[in-house]
Amino acid sequence: MKKLVSICLLCVSAYTSAEVAVIVNPNNNNALDKGVISKIYLGKTKSYADGGKIKAVGQKGTAVAKEFTQNVVGKSSSQFKAYWSKLIFTGKGTPPDPLASDQAVIDFVASNPQGIGYIDSAKVTDAVKVIGKF
Amino acid sequence: MNIKLLSAAVGLACISATAHAEIRINGFASIVAGQTLDDNTSLYGYDDDISYKNESMFALQLSSDLQDGLSATAQIVARGNEDFDAEFEWAYVSYQINDDLKVSGGKMRIPFYRYSDFLDVGYAYRWVRPPQSVYSFAFSTYEGLNLLHNTTLGDWDSSVQVIYGSFEDTVPSGAGAMPEDIKLNDLMGVNWTVSYDWFSARAAYLVAETSINASSVTGLTAALNGYGLSNQANNLLINKDDGSFFGLGISVDYDSFLFDAEYTEIEVTDSLLPDQTQYYASIGYRLDEWTLHLTYESNDDEHDSNRLNTVPVSITGPNNTVVPVSLDPTNANSPLLKDLTNQVYLGAKQESSTVTVGARYDFHPSAAFKIDLSRFNDDVTDQDIDVLAVAIDLVF
Repeated sequence: MKKLVSICLLCVSAYTSAEVAVIVNPNNNNALDKGVISKIYLGKTKSYADGGKIKAVGQKGTAVAKEFTQNVVGKSSSQFKAYWSKLIFTGKGTPPDPLASDQAVIDFVASNPQGIGYIDSAKVTDAVKVIGKF
Repeated sequence: MNIKLLSAAVGLACISATAHAEIRINGFASIVAGQTLDDNTSLYGYDDDISYKNESMFALQLSSDLQDGLSATAQIVARGNEDFDAEFEWAYVSYQINDDLKVSGGKMRIPFYRYSDFLDVGYAYRWVRPPQSVYSFAFSTYEGLNLLHNTTLGDWDSSVQVIYGSFEDTVPSGAGAMPEDIKLNDLMGVNWTVSYDWFSARAAYLVAETSINASSVTGLTAALNGYGLSNQANNLLINKDDGSFFGLGISVDYDSFLFDAEYTEIEVTDSLLPDQTQYYASIGYRLDEWTLHLTYESNDDEHDSNRLNTVPVSITGPNNTVVPVSLDPTNANSPLLKDLTNQVYLGAKQESSTVTVGARYDFHPSAAFKIDLSRFNDDVTDQDIDVLAVAIDLVF
């Protein structure tokens, strides 16, 4: 029982401490606000203001992913999944590639000039540029 | 047909392999158990014995991005009510012309309704099945082209789709009835969806030259033609008649509140098919992982009364003799073709309403549990039929 409680507390603390940083390549100078980021992750915006093709990645079932979809896109994980399943199975879109970890997202964004991703804000490195924290 | 599509898909797979494109595999499945709640009733393919198969299905989608805007997609669906025989439901190639414009060719879904495109993906909506009074078409895919234009107008998103193609298949025409051959030629349609954050509205219009072998009236039309009444015979047959479909829909997803409504009109001129009007309105409320919902549906099929009594009671034969227009003119008690024809038109009348209450529970990031209780009321016979169904819908 004690163990259970401490596990639960752990979950709660992990959940509340996750501030999400949206990151792009350091060479990306496009201004992106929350509304645009949301549209990118809903597949509605496909190009940056400078014309570059957006390469967005997500995270696979992590707490950060949950936080991001809730805070930035304004949908629960299952609503987000339901939204994308409508597009996937009708050939209207492909969701941002779900990567396994914060580090995988950093590596992708650092090596793709048109990449965009989100990570736990505590994990940000110099290899990427933060365009917003949510 | 299947083999042809299969070889096409294999061909596509080969192309993608040589282009070093990866194949993305997605899937979805629904496991549904349901039954009607009273003896000797049937609805939605259920009877009073529980069935785990009737609405269950399993689907895999293979898609490959061939780079430079070209992609190939195939969706293979195995339905329980077809003994899980796997069939290609979608198989098409798309080319993204620019950010806004995409053209696709192949076998695709006919975009009649708001949920047409993802009709099979139960995970994408709250009911076990979309409201059947509106979602009544047995056939749902066509072969042809479609052009999709997506654009943003300020805070609004606009999506216009134009389709052209044809459809040919043999489908069941209703419970216990013989399968009928359906053929749609020059199928053309346009639909427009506008959406703003929590609101979306859709309008659709489709036309097609429609032919269905109406086996139930072959005897009657032969008899009419025997009297030279070919107009009256043709007004029963569904042979290259003008078919049209009109649909309107709105959808609201505001905070925890959900509202959906669709209205549809279907017409096949000069045929035994009645003018059909359907609608539903559905409200839902989201409570954490739960969604509770209530839906009212209505279906009204009827021929205009001016279609009755178009067959004469008698005609004038040789030497000014009066010949009764009946199945057997030598028998004075034989039924008049006028009455039989009227019966066909009047018999097409259907009036029903359905109320469904249900709940969806998102118990897993990729799976939802649903339970729906529907009460169908046939206003013509004044019969009630209740169907209870539980489902697990998955996407993967």
